[in-house]
Amino acid sequence: MAALSHEEIRQRISEYIEQQFLGESEVSELTDDTPLLEWSVLTSMNTSLLLSFIRTELGVVVPPTHITGRNFANLAAITDMVHSLAPQPAA
Amino acid sequence: MDAQFDVAVIGGGPAGSTVASYLAKAGLSVAVFEAENFPREHVGESLVPATTPVLLEIGAMDKVEAAGFPKKFGAAWTSAEDRDINHNGFRGLNHDFRAAEVLFSERDQDGVDRDHTFHVDRSKFDHILLKHAEELGAKVFQGVRVGKVDFDGELPVVEVKVGSSSTHIPVKMVVDASGRQTRLGNQLKTKIPDPVFNQYAVHTWFDGLDRKALAVNKDQADYIFIHFLPVIDTWVWQIPITDTITSIGVVSQKKRFQEYGGDREKYFWETVASRPELLDVLKNCKQVKPMKTEGDYSYGMKQIAGDNYVLIGDAARFVDPIFSSGVSVALNSARLAAKDIIAAAEAGDFKHERFAAYENKLRKAVGYWHRFIEAYYRLNILFTAFVQDDRYRLDILKMLQGDVYDDEEPKALSAMWEIIEAVESDPTHLWHPYLGQLRSPTAAPSF
Repeated sequence: MAALSHEEIRQRISEYIEQQFLGESEVSELTDDTPLLEWSVLTSMNTSLLLSFIRTELGVVVPPTHITGRNFANLAAITDMVHSLAPQPAA
Repeated sequence: MDAQFDVAVIGGGPAGSTVASYLAKAGLSVAVFEAENFPREHVGESLVPATTPVLLEIGAMDKVEAAGFPKKFGAAWTSAEDRDINHNGFRGLNHDFRAAEVLFSERDQDGVDRDHTFHVDRSKFDHILLKHAEELGAKVFQGVRVGKVDFDGELPVVEVKVGSSSTHIPVKMVVDASGRQTRLGNQLKTKIPDPVFNQYAVHTWFDGLDRKALAVNKDQADYIFIHFLPVIDTWVWQIPITDTITSIGVVSQKKRFQEYGGDREKYFWETVASRPELLDVLKNCKQVKPMKTEGDYSYGMKQIAGDNYVLIGDAARFVDPIFSSGVSVALNSARLAAKDIIAAAEAGDFKHERFAAYENKLRKAVGYWHRFIEAYYRLNILFTAFVQDDRYRLDILKMLQGDVYDDEEPKALSAMWEIIEAVESDPTHLWHPYLGQLRSPTAAPSF
């Protein structure tokens, strides 16, 4: 799989969260700093689903030690984490 | 003094009947002493596919199939978060991320020739196996209690009591299959309470229960269902017994039950009420048996074999009912023990070291179960994640099939424990709030 850019990762995760989790939620707009945990968009089950999406669709395995409140606080934090874990293009 | 039988088996449940079947088939003279008169009721109604190769080997499978027990094709789990899952598009995801349910036939298993196992009325199932052992040549004595076994002489001597009279029967070898009565474990003082688990179950049967009510996929209504309750370390089993009768059991921490001062009805209904949709289902059908309780069922033994004896099934160890492992461990421990006993009989030597292969295999297998079950209680959403993760699903399924006797530890187990340690040590971890309360002591037990 070709390495994804920071922006591509942000875009894919953003679309996934909007399509899968925002439908029934009171949160209507997703921005970089929408507090996903605080506003219960990411419940424990949704977090599992998101992890599965990141693994199967983006090819990035998030190790158990990374599943913290800080890394999943909002879209910007999730994107940064996934980008840092993603395979880097050859220099 | 001559031995009256090669082998005396204490208890005619599935472990005792199975070991007696193997030994009788091999030409040994076997006596089974069963304290009750069959049929009798027993808890532990759901089987796993690891029972299949054993039932085939002893030749009892046709009789079990003919009895018409509900077929069990898989297992499913529900939690209080079901509603969220559906509303959030869970069903729209591709096949590798379904609700927590497994179909046994997803993984090939050695010696398993069919896609199902069974949910059984144990009064019938156990009776079939006992009669089968008898047909194979075992002498079966019902309504006969075993007292002390005297190991001091050249041969073990079994004290056998009928009513107020007793006789003493010399044998070459004793197999303890007395279940949770743990006759030899008690006599030899080798029983150790499990350091992690101290759960308590209250269970009964209902007629007319709507098994589809909580199922995500309605075609799977005859799976075993494990319903998690939003009460710590607490769950409910739902097991089909006939077309209309369903076994329901509530399992929780023993100390929670004690808070109810022994009022099992109140405990059952108040606990179930924490899942209102489950309470609705139960309120709309008829309870057809009094509630029964089970406790203090988690233990091991310092020794599961010695000179002239082995312990099998629940008499050797029981952990927890969560993965329906009881009958499977009974049958497979009987299979493994029988192999060593037959070899010992051929050699004419029943010393402890003759049973080393049995001891090693059973300890390893039940050790995996213990680690798996402990992981489940400590962080049960992890189980949900693993069973849906294509990297681990087959490994988890292997354990759920009860296929734990022949290989090394499944890799999913160490992966699960790595995560549990990460979650437990990091309060900001997103799964930290979902940790259970069971903990291992720092010193591992010796069994």
